[in-house]
Amino acid sequence: MDKSRQVVVMYLISHIGLIFFLYPADIIASLSVGHWSAILFGFVCHVAMLAIFTKGLGCFDALNVIDIFQGVGKIFAFFTLLPVLLYFVMILIIAVRAYSEIVTEIFLGETPLWTIMLLFVAVSTFISLLGIESIFRTGVLVALLFLPLLLFVLVLSFQNADWHYVLPLIDRQAASFSYVIGRPYLQSLFAFVGGFMFLGFVPSHVPFKGRYVVGASFLLLPMFLVSVYVPLLTFGENTASRFPFPFIMAVDTVSISWLMFDRVTMFFMLSLICFLLLFLALVMWNTIQMLKRGLPFIRPAAANILLAALVLVFCLLIPNWQLVERLLWWNTSLRLYAAIVIPCLTLALGMRHRRKGVVQP
Amino acid sequence: MNMLPFLQARKELDSDLFLHRMLLPPHAVILAGFNSLIDLPQTILMLQQQAQSAVAVDNPLLALGSGIGSAMKDPTERTIWDAIAEGHLVVLSESSDRCIKIVPVGRSLSRAIESPSTENVLRGAISAFNEDLDTNIGLVKKHMLSEQLRIRPYIFGQDQRRRTVLLYMEGKVHEHLLRSILRKIESRKATDIPDLQALSDLLGFPKWTLFTRFNTTELPQDAAYALRNGKAVLLLDRFPFAVVLPSLLSDMYISENDRNSPSVFRLFFQVLRILGILTNILMPGLYVALVSVNPEVLRIELALSIAGSREGVPYPALIETLLMLFVLELTLESSIRLPKSIGPTITMIGGIILGQAVVQAKLVSNILIIVLAATTIANFTVIGFHNANAIRLYKYLLLVLSAMYGVLGLFVGIVLICAYLGHVNSFGIPYLSRWKTGGRNG
Repeated sequence: MDKSRQVVVMYLISHIGLIFFLYPADIIASLSVGHWSAILFGFVCHVAMLAIFTKGLGCFDALNVIDIFQGVGKIFAFFTLLPVLLYFVMILIIAVRAYSEIVTEIFLGETPLWTIMLLFVAVSTFISLLGIESIFRTGVLVALLFLPLLLFVLVLSFQNADWHYVLPLIDRQAASFSYVIGRPYLQSLFAFVGGFMFLGFVPSHVPFKGRYVVGASFLLLPMFLVSVYVPLLTFGENTASRFPFPFIMAVDTVSISWLMFDRVTMFFMLSLICFLLLFLALVMWNTIQMLKRGLPFIRPAAANILLAALVLVFCLLIPNWQLVERLLWWNTSLRLYAAIVIPCLTLALGMRHRRKGVVQP
Repeated sequence: MNMLPFLQARKELDSDLFLHRMLLPPHAVILAGFNSLIDLPQTILMLQQQAQSAVAVDNPLLALGSGIGSAMKDPTERTIWDAIAEGHLVVLSESSDRCIKIVPVGRSLSRAIESPSTENVLRGAISAFNEDLDTNIGLVKKHMLSEQLRIRPYIFGQDQRRRTVLLYMEGKVHEHLLRSILRKIESRKATDIPDLQALSDLLGFPKWTLFTRFNTTELPQDAAYALRNGKAVLLLDRFPFAVVLPSLLSDMYISENDRNSPSVFRLFFQVLRILGILTNILMPGLYVALVSVNPEVLRIELALSIAGSREGVPYPALIETLLMLFVLELTLESSIRLPKSIGPTITMIGGIILGQAVVQAKLVSNILIIVLAATTIANFTVIGFHNANAIRLYKYLLLVLSAMYGVLGLFVGIVLICAYLGHVNSFGIPYLSRWKTGGRNG
């Protein structure tokens, strides 16, 4: 039984959950003209890394990253995967904290922050406790329920677009790619990396074909473009760069006379947050898989709850948005490691494995 | 003649046990059985006819033993009593130790085949299962004249024996499913199964679950459809429903009967039912979220009119909704117990008088009445009463989450429900899987 469909859906919704909040602001901040080149560059890197990663995984018959790296040596696996573990824990902390802040800022002004963080952590812990197959099935069901809503709002979001803002297409700065090493751009990779790492942890009883995932990644390109260009087309570059969440602001300007709801934004954002919850559950599950190997004496359920408590405590210790942004920045090196080193290592090990297989049939 | 004292002793305890002397020339015999299960005069007539037939003239007992009855070898008290308890007639010879077990003319203790009482069929076969196991097997067989149909009999329990049959279609049934069911059934034959929960325990399903892992249907055509699709069906004696394994989410909105309508309508009905499920689960939560936490989501005119209708209602929307839901649940529960003749009266009182009065008394807003009416109606658009029950509790979860977190709580609640649905599986077959004949597809 091929589970490619479930894996693809999960891949798509974890990315969609990450794209629309922080990504547009970072891209708009990193250059003033020719944003498409920045999006495309990031996207090409993403697809390339994804292809390398799935290719590497495909060399082994249904093994996950932990098995593959442990095949080389325990110490090797420990040192290569430790940064990934740290990266996942950081993602959990940052995502829970950042999204709780976004929720309070946009529509639950009077609810205390900690209750929302508690809700996020509790729900994602519950889902991750159910196991990877349940997460995938949940993903498909949630996608079936919410994707139509999401696409509906995406289409509507062009209501106030002024297409003149597309121009000018490019300038010297955009053409030189000098923005690539700028801080906002490196931060924007947040939306590219976290989502596909889970492919390396999918257990062998959930087989999938990597090429479908690579194919499906092209569905994300319009999402990336829309998330940046809708605010640009609605407000213009100058205004859009002043908003913390430009896309949400742009959708807020939409008004539809025949709908009983005034703020379609809310349903859009909530769908994204549901996707994000699933993504968090998935990351949590990945983390537990690594912990399980590293510390075999802890029961997985206990480890899961401990991890959740840890994440919650760290989230509570973050006092303001500035620190969230700083954490996001500190996380960049780990992110680049996870995005570049792990896929390349996997491919290298895969090639070696295959060559050995050919030598001794 | 060692059995007679034993039976006579039992007669003191069981008043409906008869011991009837009879002459089947040249032998004198004693007939033993239960009055309550056997039609004695008809049975005697039948025995006399048998004894007079040409073959039987010389030795009627031998003829009986190899004819309509079967001779019992080395009968013991236990085996004879078991035969009597199962409703057989036991013929004891006075002269020798011979014992013959005969299928008697029974009293008819079952309903005739009637139309279903818990589900309605508008276009399709209307006959429903009744309490008699053999009738039920016959009904299923009539619906699928196939040589692939396999019927495996089992008798469960020690104190209280219950006949059960497992039906499946050779070659079509999901192999893993069949193996799992057989393993469970055959390893635990001694378990009593007085009710479906016990059956669920026997099959190894968890006790505390919101979804029963099997579906029940009163319609032979649905059972036959399930069999054709590779599911397995259990029929229990004295239980007028077929138990279909496994149950899936699609059982809630896909009915075999829809196939009697054009495809467009079939799709329409299915979409309608899915919307019904969503309405039932979401509406109360959405009302509370929009009224008490996130009124800014609504258009201003609508928000004002809702606020206007709630004017004078002295408690928060959550309490208001819970109160009305409580009354509604009471109405539903009582209408099951009520005699048929009083039912409509209560519906009228509950629906019109209470609904109208409660609004005029400013205890709840009239929009809530609309919301809850829609919720309750939507609850019963799903197929099968057990499925309607299965989704009945979720709205409370969403209600509480919505009261705390507004629309966010509602959405997170949906994710939680989806996760639970994703987790439920029977014998490794996920509740959310799409069923395909002979296999499955996640």
